[in-house]
Amino acid sequence: MRFIDSTNFERLLKKLSSEGELFVPVRDEDSGKLHLQRAESFPLPEGTTFDGYRTVESLKAFGQLVRSTVAEYPMPDGEAFESEGQFPTFVVVGAKACDLYALKMVDKVLIEGEFTDPFYQSRRDHMIIISADCSECAESCFCNLLGKRPFPEEGFDLNISRISGGFLVEAGSLRGEEVISANEEFFTEPRPGQAKARDDVRAKVIEELENNNRDFPEATVMTEPLRELLTDDLWSGEAARCVECGACTNICPTCYCFLLFDQREGNESYRRISSWDSCQVTGYARMAGMGTPRAHLSDRVKHRFYHKYDYLVLSHGEIYCTGCGRCIDACSAGIDMRDVFRKVKAQAAK
Amino acid sequence: MKNPYYPIDTVVEDIITETPTIKTFCLKPKKPIAFRAGQFMQLTVPGVGEAPFTPSSDPNISEKMEISILKTGKVTDALHELKPGAKVGLRGPFGKGYPLDKLVGKEVLVVGGGVGLAPMRALLYALFNDPSKYKKIVIKFGAREPEELSFRRQYDEWGSLAPNISLQTTIDVPHPKWDGHVGLVTSILDDLDINIPDSYALSCGPEIMLKFVTLKLLEVGYKPPQIYLSMNRKMSCGMGKCGRCNVGHYYLCVDGPDMCYDKIKHVPNVFG
Ligand SMILES: Cc1cc2nc3c(=O)[nH]c(=O)nc-3n(C[C@H](O)[C@H](O)[C@H](O)COP(=O)(O)OP(=O)(O)OC[C@H]3O[C@@H](n4cnc5c(N)ncnc54)[C@H](O)[C@@H]3O)c2cc1C
Ligand code: FES
Repeated sequence: MRFIDSTNFERLLKKLSSEGELFVPVRDEDSGKLHLQRAESFPLPEGTTFDGYRTVESLKAFGQLVRSTVAEYPMPDGEAFESEGQFPTFVVVGAKACDLYALKMVDKVLIEGEFTDPFYQSRRDHMIIISADCSECAESCFCNLLGKRPFPEEGFDLNISRISGGFLVEAGSLRGEEVISANEEFFTEPRPGQAKARDDVRAKVIEELENNNRDFPEATVMTEPLRELLTDDLWSGEAARCVECGACTNICPTCYCFLLFDQREGNESYRRISSWDSCQVTGYARMAGMGTPRAHLSDRVKHRFYHKYDYLVLSHGEIYCTGCGRCIDACSAGIDMRDVFRKVKAQAAK
Repeated sequence: MKNPYYPIDTVVEDIITETPTIKTFCLKPKKPIAFRAGQFMQLTVPGVGEAPFTPSSDPNISEKMEISILKTGKVTDALHELKPGAKVGLRGPFGKGYPLDKLVGKEVLVVGGGVGLAPMRALLYALFNDPSKYKKIVIKFGAREPEELSFRRQYDEWGSLAPNISLQTTIDVPHPKWDGHVGLVTSILDDLDINIPDSYALSCGPEIMLKFVTLKLLEVGYKPPQIYLSMNRKMSCGMGKCGRCNVGHYYLCVDGPDMCYDKIKHVPNVFG
């Protein structure tokens, strides 16, 4: 563990920005919320901060573009994927623990298995992540209900923890260690008491989370009851409020579903596009001849919960929710995951 | 690295009209594509799009591939308009394919209906590779009308390939040119000459048929682990990534499309 003061940290970022496009959390004056923003020059944009909680946007779009070309055909040797020069390097600073958990979950789907999405893999390889501890939590944050903690433990190159005068810095990868050793002049050894200062903040945020969520059960209450097939009233109740905008799945860092479609480019050349998709919209699973297996909105609302809290537990070994609460903030109907946990628990108890 | 989204350049060499609505496309991909019976391909009509199809040809042949396709929508309409020489694209194979290992030494019941006969033909080619490996191969095919029975030119040959192979067909309603059995395919599953405890049943066809075939098989004594169904869901990526084709927690494109009924019987609306 090392210490870096705030001035040197900005110098470090300036150096790293020569390796790729730098993104930092910037506070929006009106809403008070943080947005990831490209920092194209120094000093860093006004409002830049590594404190607080997660940004409005997750890191999803760095790995999986909203819309991207995945093939142009026909092409000689078009099957071979060449990553060289395809993607810029992104230096993403201020990502929170929930962001990193989500990346790991999506990695499991898009990279692992018999087939790898080479575009995603390549973009992931081109990400340098400097994460940061949460110094507070939002009303909608509920990572504690997923057994997760508000400070990064893995999945980062460097992690910073704000303490008086600067940050404690931890390397979480070989690349992170290299960054430190190549920039030794910016770092010092931590002084006694600094680690304790960091741990105090961490403990304070955990306490805040537990307080905020004390009326809600842990997310694991979902898994077993869902498997036992709850009655459908619950879902029609949620669906009655849902306006089918798809904001929850778009904002969700662990929602990775996409759709492929083709476009004509020239006379005899075509482009295959991959685009984010949402299980909440009707066309998503429609099939030839027989409509869709989830014709009703309540089926789709239900599917969102089953996919995250049951199916992926069975197929990929964990609940695909990090408790970041973005879906709660984004939902114009006020649907709150935690509320569903509570209802499911109540129903399961009957 | 390989780009699994790229459709391999493929030429349509020949087109065979099987029924008024089904055509078999004989395809030659730029390089051989090895597949197992029941695995499926994503077939691209350039500029129109992709759709999943299970090859109907012999899985022992990888230089060429036949796919039999029912005309039913955007991609399949465009396919039916194609002429020999047309350029298409292929991705795959995807999925697990039929559980051939399990069938060895067993009495195998194959039940197909409508365009479902297409994937079943690849299965039959695989079984016919060495029929003596199976105690019995009992084939039951159904269609609405006689002319809707795909591959009927081959039935006599298949039925007489080996003494342990039998093939019976049925059509839904009487037809002047038909003197065979009349009734839904389930009506020829009643008096099976099969030792059911020693058997596996595999079925492919429209979902409604799968549903009633399954109910019938259960009625005559098959247990859910002995029943394999070729399931159908909307697909896009074909490789378990786009999230679209789930039946319960299974992705048909990875865990299927042929699913053991025992694994999916608890899924609500499993037959759509
Ligand atoms: C693993 C697998 C293997 C398969 N193997 C074969 C095979 O060997 N042979 C074969 O013929 N087929 C096979 N199929 C089915 C085949 O994939 C579909 O028939 C094909 O995708 C249809 O594509 P399309 O673009 O022609 O139809 P689409 O245009 O996608 O769909 C048209 C159909 O969908 C319905 N539809 C259209 N618009 C709407 C709407 N807005 N709302 C509701 N319904 C609508 C219509 O009823 C119409 O019939 C297989 C499917 C799977 C999953
Ligand atoms: S088709 Fe994409 S997950 Fe099955």
